Amino acid sequence: MALPVAAAPRSSVARRWLPWLLLRLGGVVFVLWAVATVTFFAIRLIPGDPAEAILGGPGSQASAAALAKARADFGLDQPLPLQYLHYLGRLAVGDLGQSYALRQPVITVIGQNLGGTLLLAAVSLVVAAAIALGLAAWSAWGGPGASAVSSVLEVVAAAVPHFWLAISLILLFSTTLDWLPPVSIPGAAGLILPVLTLAIPLAGFLGQVMRESILDAMASPFVLAARARGEGSNGVFWRHALRHAAIPAIGLAGWAFGALISGAVVVETIFARPGIGRSLLSAVQQRDVPLVVGVVIVVALGYMLVTTLTDLADRLVDPRLRAR
Amino acid sequence: MKRFLSPLIAMAAVGLLLVGCTTTAAPRGSAPVSGGTLVYATGDAEPTCLDPHVGGNYPQALVATQYLESLVSKNKAGDIIPWLATKWTESANGLSWDFTLRKNVKFTDGTPLNAEAVAANVAHLQDPATGSSTGYLALQKVTGVTVVNDLTARFTLSTPDSALLDSLSQPWLAIESAKALKRSQAVNCESPVGTGPFIVTKWVHQQSISLVRNDKYNSPPADAAHTGPAYLKAIQWRFLPDSASRYAALQSGTVDVIDNAQPDTLVAAKKTKDLVAIDAPRPGASNRIELNSSIAPFDDKRVREAFIRSADVNDAITSLFFGTAKRSYSALSSVEKLGISEPKLFTYDQKAAAKLLDEAGWTQRNSDGYRVKDGKVLELNFPVSTNQSIPAEQSLFEQLQATTKQAGFKVDLHPLDLSSWYGALGANQYNLVSAPYTKVGPDVLRILYDSDGTKPAPSGYFANHSQVKDPALDALLVRAGETSDQKERASLYKQAQDIILGGYYILPLYDQQNHYLLRSTVKGVRAMPTVSTPTMYDAWLSR
Repeated sequence: MALPVAAAPRSSVARRWLPWLLLRLGGVVFVLWAVATVTFFAIRLIPGDPAEAILGGPGSQASAAALAKARADFGLDQPLPLQYLHYLGRLAVGDLGQSYALRQPVITVIGQNLGGTLLLAAVSLVVAAAIALGLAAWSAWGGPGASAVSSVLEVVAAAVPHFWLAISLILLFSTTLDWLPPVSIPGAAGLILPVLTLAIPLAGFLGQVMRESILDAMASPFVLAARARGEGSNGVFWRHALRHAAIPAIGLAGWAFGALISGAVVVETIFARPGIGRSLLSAVQQRDVPLVVGVVIVVALGYMLVTTLTDLADRLVDPRLRAR
Repeated sequence: MKRFLSPLIAMAAVGLLLVGCTTTAAPRGSAPVSGGTLVYATGDAEPTCLDPHVGGNYPQALVATQYLESLVSKNKAGDIIPWLATKWTESANGLSWDFTLRKNVKFTDGTPLNAEAVAANVAHLQDPATGSSTGYLALQKVTGVTVVNDLTARFTLSTPDSALLDSLSQPWLAIESAKALKRSQAVNCESPVGTGPFIVTKWVHQQSISLVRNDKYNSPPADAAHTGPAYLKAIQWRFLPDSASRYAALQSGTVDVIDNAQPDTLVAAKKTKDLVAIDAPRPGASNRIELNSSIAPFDDKRVREAFIRSADVNDAITSLFFGTAKRSYSALSSVEKLGISEPKLFTYDQKAAAKLLDEAGWTQRNSDGYRVKDGKVLELNFPVSTNQSIPAEQSLFEQLQATTKQAGFKVDLHPLDLSSWYGALGANQYNLVSAPYTKVGPDVLRILYDSDGTKPAPSGYFANHSQVKDPALDALLVRAGETSDQKERASLYKQAQDIILGGYYILPLYDQQNHYLLRSTVKGVRAMPTVSTPTMYDAWLSR
């Protein structure tokens, strides 16, 4: 690596961080290439003709002339290796191509839908964290009984599949109680059931991890020391135990992101919410290759961004990691 | 727990207030009331293009019925009636048809409906660049349209076509503004322009299509309940793919009408006064299981009959569809006037099945109870399209698997996505298959049973899944497709159906199911007798 030579004399921070950053970037590029390549070839293993997907799906009885035109328009008449290279070339300059089914640029489709999914995921994450924290706090203060109850609640919550939870919530809050709309409508009311569907299972997982480490921390010598210094119950919990419990929870962030996005596929379809999860599902069903690849790449990017940020957070929190 | 529950309760309360605000009271009464927005929730796929000339599938037909109109329509009795064309005459040799167009009809972009517009529409459908499949197929015998005078369009044909009027009644051949068709396809797909009672104003992909009333509308079909503009001020056309949440949305009043109602929800809806069901079977073929006669063991007619005799269809339909589907004994939909029904051919009879299999040489049974001949098990490959067969139908196939096992058939069900399913058909690796086919008129028989239908199209698609190759049948279907003598046509189609049913090429199940559910506050909705899409022209809200 030649770059650090210029920077090294002035800054030791750069010397310490730059190799890590470059390695990280290289990893991102490699993963993106691998994701794009696997998706490109995997979707072509499905029997059926992509030209037909363009003309309204398999069995559309498209005429020979229409098929030929679609193949030429989308470059499908070229040999597969050449199509792959063209596709990589376009990706390299950030061109995700044109969606077959929606007849719009993939980047536009993703741009229109990403916001809805991110909002859903972000609110769900906050709600899940709040529920998990609530259960953990209750366990810490409420004694073994509370701990046992929240442990059961967490296991049940974590085990519930999204589609079942969604339908149960609709049956309870819409059909029976008539409190909330069963399908998404603009505004906060339409967000509540989708958010709960995503947040409850996630809260189960987060709660299990956080409760364990909070209970560990509450029983550890540093908490005893804090108590000895005259720290009150609240102070012990918020300033010491929670900070200790946050580390494994932060480590789960990357995984949580994945869980939220995959959950969004189900939730957005059931509640008819616009978003990239729903786009992905319909794109797979319609063999809309460019859109599938586009969504997968954006999700992969998001996943790597989250893991990089958590890594960064870990390095900032824990100096031992920086030395390596 | 209270700590995190209380904000949730607060959020729920806000939600309640918001929901409360959206429902407003309007006067009740039995006379149609103008105004209001109807919310329609479709479970069909979102169209890729709102112009049904492009491609041409059912989701497009559903929504296009609200803003596009065809030259002719059909009434409940199944007779062709005037719509944008007031009358039509076929030349003596059957090679040209003159259509007289309705006067003073305007497209919603202000251009007039005239013979030139009709010519431009046919040219658009036949242009490969349009990518039409349904409309393109329907116009195969049409060589072009010439302008006789402003309101007379002449269709010229290569051979006589007795199905021309049936074809032209379909929404996939609706007439659009010639000026609008000249725009780019991308633009025309977003905002097609027709003469219909509503106008497309906005399409938010994956969410909804907004339609507003066409205040200058003056061209309803001859069987509409009123004249002049529609009652509804607007329609919101939503996409709700999940059937459980679609029904919940209807129950709660978030939406007014849903399609693709499943048997269990239809039964539940019957129990409430708030909901009304419309049963609108699609035209064309009945839903049926096709027996591939081109490969063993179904190349032997006795084995085909044995399979059909050993399948207890009636009990399965009763238990799985709860009386929402009626058994069919016909190759055609019950809405097709020329369809014939032969219940006797399809009676459930295990003894007869066993005898037929013995005669056909399948005399041995293996330890599992399956019949064996020359060391080969009587095994049937049944690829099932999970996109086309609803869950109740997939369960029905499982029940048939169990009853035909008694006779010694080993049915292998393979649930497949649509692409893989077509792959299995293309490779001729199936013995049984079930595929719907929607088309107006008995000419669907030519598509499904003519030996030409066994040759794959350029896309690999072929429609004759039973792989019937019978020159006598081909001749009957060609003749029936050309004659303009209605009596002769009916007789030819009867003979053709006798061959198809009597040859045990198909096991009819029921009509292609198509059920709508509406809130009882919605009045005047009806399904078009053409392809059973719902029209909101006569609809009004009594809330």
